[in-house]
Amino acid sequence: MWTYEKRLQYPVKITQTNPKIAQIIISQYGGPDGELGASMRYLSQRYTTPYKEVAGLLTDVGSEGSEMFRFSLSPFFDALAIA
Amino acid sequence: MNNQPNRKEMLNMINEISFAVLETQLYLDTHPCSTEALAYFEECSQIRNQALKEYAKYYGPLTIDTATSACNDRWSWINDPWPWQEGGC
Repeated sequence: MWTYEKRLQYPVKITQTNPKIAQIIISQYGGPDGELGASMRYLSQRYTTPYKEVAGLLTDVGSEGSEMFRFSLSPFFDALAIA
Repeated sequence: MNNQPNRKEMLNMINEISFAVLETQLYLDTHPCSTEALAYFEECSQIRNQALKEYAKYYGPLTIDTATSACNDRWSWINDPWPWQEGGC
């Protein structure tokens, strides 16, 4: 059901560590209004929506959430500590 | 080796065309009867698939479907850099 590609939709490059920003990024990732919650909401609401157009859209957008996981988790570690 | 296309340029092109494919996909979800969007999707999708194959040939596969285009005798998926690593995206 789920596949991934070895590329990012939008490449990010963090050049210096910044714990404060790392805190914001991790909140965007799994916080109360973060991507993790959003994608789970999309993917569960798709089952009860009465319109197939919307069900399709929710499935596609919800699947993009996993892109956001990689998109924000890697910058998080970079911002936290660059190896 | 000299006529190898530039890796960054190829990847950029793939990113751009993939963006077009994805956005058209989302548009078509809610506008399934738009022939204009459907034609645009087909056009972009073909360019994307071709570009992915081309990229895989020189720099390793980005998708599992193009893993065989890399024409290697061993599995390189785990050795090629991940997009968030140096030399990746």
